[in-house]
Amino acid sequence: MFNYVIRRLLLMVPTFLGATLLVFVILQMAPGGPLEKTVMQMQKGAPSGGGASEGGASGNSSSSSGTLLPKRALKELERFYGFDKPIWQRYLIWLGVWPREIKHRNVSFKLGENEKKKNMGKRRFAYIKREGSSLSVFDKEGKPSTLWKARFDMDISDEEIENFENLKNQGKLSEIKKLEATVYETEFSGVLTGNLGKSYTYQQPVTEVMKPRFKVSIMLGLTGWIIAYLVCIPLGIKKALRHGSRFDLISSVIVFMAYSIPGWAFGGVLLVLFGGGSFWDVFPLGGLHSPQEVWQDLSFFGKVLDQIHHAILPIIAWTIGSFASLTVLMKNSLLDNMSQDYIRTAFAKGLSEKRVIWVHAIRNSIIPIASGIGYIIATIIAGSYFIEMIFNINGFGKMGYQAILDRDYPITMGFLVVAVLIRLIANLLSDLALAAVDPRIRFK
Amino acid sequence: MDKMITKSESINQKRWKKFKSIKRGYYSFIALVTLYILSLFLPLFINSKALLVKYEGSYYLPAIVDAIPGLNSYYDGSIFNQDIAGEANFRHLQRKWKGTNNWVIMPLYPFNPYEDITNNESKMYEAPSSTHWFGTDDTGRDVFARMCYAFNISISFAFILTVLNYIIGVSIGGAMGYFGGKFDLFFQRLIEIWSSMPLLFVVIIISSILEPTFVLLIFIYTLVNWIFLTYYMRAEFYREKSKDYVSAAISMGQSNTKIIFKHILPNSLVPVITYFPFSMVGGILVLVSLDFLGFGLAPPTPSWGQILYVGLSNITKWWMVFAPIMAQFFTLLSIVFIGEAIREAFDPKIYSRLR
Repeated sequence: MFNYVIRRLLLMVPTFLGATLLVFVILQMAPGGPLEKTVMQMQKGAPSGGGASEGGASGNSSSSSGTLLPKRALKELERFYGFDKPIWQRYLIWLGVWPREIKHRNVSFKLGENEKKKNMGKRRFAYIKREGSSLSVFDKEGKPSTLWKARFDMDISDEEIENFENLKNQGKLSEIKKLEATVYETEFSGVLTGNLGKSYTYQQPVTEVMKPRFKVSIMLGLTGWIIAYLVCIPLGIKKALRHGSRFDLISSVIVFMAYSIPGWAFGGVLLVLFGGGSFWDVFPLGGLHSPQEVWQDLSFFGKVLDQIHHAILPIIAWTIGSFASLTVLMKNSLLDNMSQDYIRTAFAKGLSEKRVIWVHAIRNSIIPIASGIGYIIATIIAGSYFIEMIFNINGFGKMGYQAILDRDYPITMGFLVVAVLIRLIANLLSDLALAAVDPRIRFK
Repeated sequence: MDKMITKSESINQKRWKKFKSIKRGYYSFIALVTLYILSLFLPLFINSKALLVKYEGSYYLPAIVDAIPGLNSYYDGSIFNQDIAGEANFRHLQRKWKGTNNWVIMPLYPFNPYEDITNNESKMYEAPSSTHWFGTDDTGRDVFARMCYAFNISISFAFILTVLNYIIGVSIGGAMGYFGGKFDLFFQRLIEIWSSMPLLFVVIIISSILEPTFVLLIFIYTLVNWIFLTYYMRAEFYREKSKDYVSAAISMGQSNTKIIFKHILPNSLVPVITYFPFSMVGGILVLVSLDFLGFGLAPPTPSWGQILYVGLSNITKWWMVFAPIMAQFFTLLSIVFIGEAIREAFDPKIYSRLR
């Protein structure tokens, strides 16, 4: 068993890498990314922006000659969004196994200048020395720095830098007044170190953005699922025990109806009916609690009531989403077992009906339900977009969706990481739950 | 199985009989198929173009021309001496020519799904009435007309999607089970990656980049959705392969293709077929969801999800919420009924209850 779990955990690694790599590549290769979006915004904002080069989607290249931005600014933007590196490096940096460059400082060497001193923050200074085309950084004791690195960021070759002065004297490269370089610190920070980057839109670390929203989604999802279980399992059992009765038929109609309408759409109907649009004004239109000015003045008890008042409709919508499949699963599973030989045997040896059903049959029919636990956890995340959208709840799903719209790659990737991890762990959990409920199942 | 040596019906005949005997499934099937076939000729029933126009002794057939793809169905207002810019307004002509020699026969429901407020008769957010059965939407388009066209698109989408998924899923899953080895291992890893991803999220990412058309959307969704059948097909082929009849076929020197398609496939297809309607339900729901989020078919395309989105953003305009949800509800309900009947017909599990 222990070995099995270890093996499963190890197998998760390639799966995780594969899934994240796939989406990472799609995102980074996509036209109209955050870089282009920002460039476009800046150009529109620029006073001289005549709009001549508007919408110039020229890929992620730096050579977009039509842009009105100075090269330096474009370069800085590219650096900010990480587009100055080849894509495999970007992925490794994102993972945290390739050094990430941070705290960039611009340095420029004038003609004949070979050494520069640069403040790197917190009163630490870097001494950059230039020898031909190679830059080396030293700390204040004069030792080669382990913390800082430097490189030229100009479109001239090493050879040209080497012979810069000669060429300059010959009248070539006359447009270049000085040599521009960048000093930067490196660190390993990425997914593996728990750093998911900083959101472009919220200007906050991704983990900080996700935390409160994740809580909201989990709370809604868990409540929804608990209620679904509390309703569906007894209902399924009763339907199975009274198979073919009027109760079974009527509840079947309800189950069919619930299957034909997705939970979020049903939520929409509820909202129209009870949200105070054109029918009854019973429940609030959305959000998780009343507006801040009302919310502040509520007592603790009032706050609890207010939240319940707001959560009722979303939770009903949640429950409906899984109502049909769960009920049918429970019913069919129990019916299956009731026609098995061991039930006949149990009856034959004179056990009471109660005991046969509740001890023998139910235990076996709960197995497929138990194996669904992983799936449930996964849908708490995946299924939450729509309900959060409709009820305007700032949850995890809505955040992910909004991030795609805003081209906020760190959040998009963060969402993906969490979703994939949850799914992987949930799959394992449901296998373990299966083993726990069904003693016949042994993993090797 | 005792003696069943009556005039034997083939198994499929029996299944069809059984299917017919389940009334709600059978009638749903007939209703849905009829509606879908009718919806292929929607331009003849729901259109702002006239079916037949008689003007100054000559006849015109705008709607019929419109129904045939590839023909130019544009009739300028000036042809009918109508003083408006652009296309002729046949509803207007019908009123204007009342009592004259010229006449217009309009389709049953004389609005088309793209007519917005640029057309001077349309108004935004009109509540349901006898002219606009389900009201009009945020740009003045007729909701009923849009819903009918969306029905056709949804069913076509779901059907093509499911068939494609089946072809890919069955062949890859079957090949995995049959050939095993490295091929199997490679696809197993791939499937594991796929199944660990939030697929709808990935679809949204891709379609936010590509701005999908009908074909492209089917392609994208097939790309992420084919895996679900492979699980089952793989296990089934794996199991069947070790059975005697396959060994017999191999020893007779049958080719792999023949063994796969002639021997194993028919034996493992039954559960897959019974799953087909439910897979279509999934397809329709996906289209509605994507359209609702705005990542589905490009804007002017009529779709339930888009109407629903408009309705839910204007909560007082209840008709735009109820109409698409009801349409979707009844469509899905009938497909579920069909699915239930097919399942019963293919897999007659008789539940015996003791006591």
